[in-house]
Amino acid sequence: MKNFFRKVAFGLKPDEKAPSDPLTWAQKQVESIPELNWKGKHIYSEKEMRKYWITQRVEENTTLRKKYKNDPKGFEIAERQLENDTGGKFWKNYELSIRHAEGVRSTHPVLAKLWYFWGNHFTISKTQRLHQYSTAAYQREFLRANMDKTFETMAYEGTIAWPMIMHLDNKDNIGPKSESGRQEWRRREKEPATLNENHARELMELHTISPKGGYTQEDVQELAKIMTGWRPKWTKKSDQGTDIRFMSDRHEPGKKNVLGKTYKNGRKSLKIVVKDLVNHPSCREFIATKLCRYLITDHPTKQMIAPIIKAWEQSDGHLPEVHKAAIKVAFEYNDKYKKFQNPENWWLQTINMSGATYSYPIPEKRMDKYKLGNIVSERLREPDWMLEDLGYHPYLAQQPNGYSDFSSDWMSTELIIRRLLYAKKAFHRYNLEDQIDDTIHEKIVRNNFDNPDKILKILSNAKSNEEKHMILFNIPEVLRA
Amino acid sequence: MKITRRDFLKGTATTLFLAGFNLPALASNSKKKNLVVIMLRGGMDGLCAVPVIGDKNFEKRRKSILIENTIKLNSDFALHPRLIGFNKCWNDNTGSIVHAASIPYTQRSHFEGQNLMESGGRTPYKEKTGWVGRAMKLANLQGDGLALSLPMPLLLRGIPKNNNYFPGRGKLPRERTLELLRSVYAESSEDELLEMMNYIKKRKNEEMMGGTMSHGKRENKNLARQAATYLRKSDGPRVAVFEVGGFDTHAAQGGVDGTHTKCLVEMDEIINNLKDNLQEAYKDTIILTVTEFGRTIKQNGGNGTEHGYGTAIFMAGGLLKKSQVHTDWPGLKRKEMYEGRDLNATIDARSVYASAMSTVFDLDFKRIQKDVFWGEDLQNLSDKLFKA
Repeated sequence: MKNFFRKVAFGLKPDEKAPSDPLTWAQKQVESIPELNWKGKHIYSEKEMRKYWITQRVEENTTLRKKYKNDPKGFEIAERQLENDTGGKFWKNYELSIRHAEGVRSTHPVLAKLWYFWGNHFTISKTQRLHQYSTAAYQREFLRANMDKTFETMAYEGTIAWPMIMHLDNKDNIGPKSESGRQEWRRREKEPATLNENHARELMELHTISPKGGYTQEDVQELAKIMTGWRPKWTKKSDQGTDIRFMSDRHEPGKKNVLGKTYKNGRKSLKIVVKDLVNHPSCREFIATKLCRYLITDHPTKQMIAPIIKAWEQSDGHLPEVHKAAIKVAFEYNDKYKKFQNPENWWLQTINMSGATYSYPIPEKRMDKYKLGNIVSERLREPDWMLEDLGYHPYLAQQPNGYSDFSSDWMSTELIIRRLLYAKKAFHRYNLEDQIDDTIHEKIVRNNFDNPDKILKILSNAKSNEEKHMILFNIPEVLRA
Repeated sequence: MKITRRDFLKGTATTLFLAGFNLPALASNSKKKNLVVIMLRGGMDGLCAVPVIGDKNFEKRRKSILIENTIKLNSDFALHPRLIGFNKCWNDNTGSIVHAASIPYTQRSHFEGQNLMESGGRTPYKEKTGWVGRAMKLANLQGDGLALSLPMPLLLRGIPKNNNYFPGRGKLPRERTLELLRSVYAESSEDELLEMMNYIKKRKNEEMMGGTMSHGKRENKNLARQAATYLRKSDGPRVAVFEVGGFDTHAAQGGVDGTHTKCLVEMDEIINNLKDNLQEAYKDTIILTVTEFGRTIKQNGGNGTEHGYGTAIFMAGGLLKKSQVHTDWPGLKRKEMYEGRDLNATIDARSVYASAMSTVFDLDFKRIQKDVFWGEDLQNLSDKLFKA
């Protein structure tokens, strides 16, 4: 039973009282979206963060490149200062702290764990410096904020959000027959207007119906045509970083046909096609399967996903209902399946169960002391390189399909070594009082496991509290949940 | 003439081999062949690394970033002067270049291009395995892959139980801690964890990074030394994969001391350190490079270059037939270039990779073509580039 608190959240703190009705406890957490737990000075909107991105990109690509065109060293130094001025090395740490406070300091860790799921589902991978400025804000503003709405809302808003349009190159998706596409300068400058299918393909493959939806290359192209013109508003001064608009002069004219349905020319079709995609049977099956894979097992069964699909159908994809159904399935299969935890969730569980949340994430006060322009101290940069070192940095996915949810992808020699090293690191997150508390491991184990005696017997072989920590957080009972 | 030359080379290699090693080692070592792939991310400029000689079309388009004091390779091509390691390979007849080659991708997105250089396909993000992983599966080489990076690259996916090496910060736990966990894994039938723990138990603290400040061990030149010690063992891995980033030099690409050079040197150090540390196993190795695309011929306003198409592949190792620049040169007149701006690709890079794997994995080229590259129209270059 106690395993459930790790399965849908990050376990219990050593002195935390176990909720008497775990299922209700978990389900209640996903009914509404509370304020973020982070109590720092300010949480920046996606648009505020975009300003830093613009400064970084425009200065670097125009001003600096011209100024230092024959001076690679000078370019490097100026680039580094620019990065400090715009917080290029700071924001990831700030945002990771906000993110992780949700998991281990808030009253709704279940919601946090599902938020992480959606962040990975709508991955913004490491490209165009988006990871340094915009990815985290995207996850807060377009994903988390929509977790009490329908999947359709999340999918539509997530699609036309500036970071996602930039990430999947829809900026360059221009109708060849559009007004802009037919302009003379394109021929002169050899810049023909072409479709860019990237975003259209991922909208189907990764975000909604998956390849099981049975779309063809033609469907991808047709969807791309519907998406033409959705891009940052172009002005003479800049077309970088402005708000997303539908620019009709770049929209491919004519009707489009996706999966057998005809869509009209113009702005409204994108919303309609997203609605159709999220209501496609393959979409709910795909998402239900992914939720089960995340929470329960690599290979979900039909019986597992059925109640989630049913909840989806009955609620028209209302995410709180979908989430509650997934939590219930996880509850029912709690004893039968144990899911190998990905590195980030494992780390948060380690911190949380240890009760070291007073030192991780980095407290607000310390973060707020940092001033843009200064070098970011080693200490403040720790979250960033720790998550990278663990192999699961939520803003640094290499590809738009994000991180794998399959256990086998988390079994590599180096990744297992990291868990040994980081279990030790978690021990040293303790203040001295906890480090020398010889009863702390018994408290952790008794509070989190139904079979404490078996685990305590293993731990009795350890020679120090530090070694106990390393063993405890690497036994299969903890690696899996 | 050709045959005589090849026979001559074979003879020399065997003699050198015998000189350094006694017979039992020869017997156990002679069969194992290694493949090393160096992924060059960002778009490697084949014409910065291996410029064409005496082409006015080229020189006038690159006035500010032309490489001077190049090393002449043959009457048509020269080598970037800082590629000292590769030049050594060239001089002992184990270094080759395939020029004007590319994967069949022309859209100029790094993102898609890098996905395709690893998957080997034509549609970005469609394939979830890599061409090396699929070929290893075909050759039944489970547990023989080594990635010199933390996550397992797409290139190696498609076969389970690959190992990786990318040292973490700090010290390995004590032997007894590892043993304790090992026995827990064994008792709870956690086979995969058990296997990883067996790998970890063989690790030594020297293979870890020391304090937080010692990043040296994660540098490619040092990873190459370490990889070579693994590869040369008869029971060690047979495939290693490296990554070098930063080739995307839109600005300040520079000449002989520029940014692009810095990346090329990093690649060169891998080749050099592999060669030195593989010792006699270098003879049974192919090292080769992949990149997503080349760069434009013409420099831009910021003394950099834009994303292009055709580029060069570097190869080194004793399994190469000879030192040569293999190319079907398309020329650099406007009409001859791809879309009037890029070096054209006249060789599908995958033909080179399929041929190399045919040699290293002892697999029929046609099987690789069919099962790894979906029966696509690839050219068997084994006879031209590699030893039989």
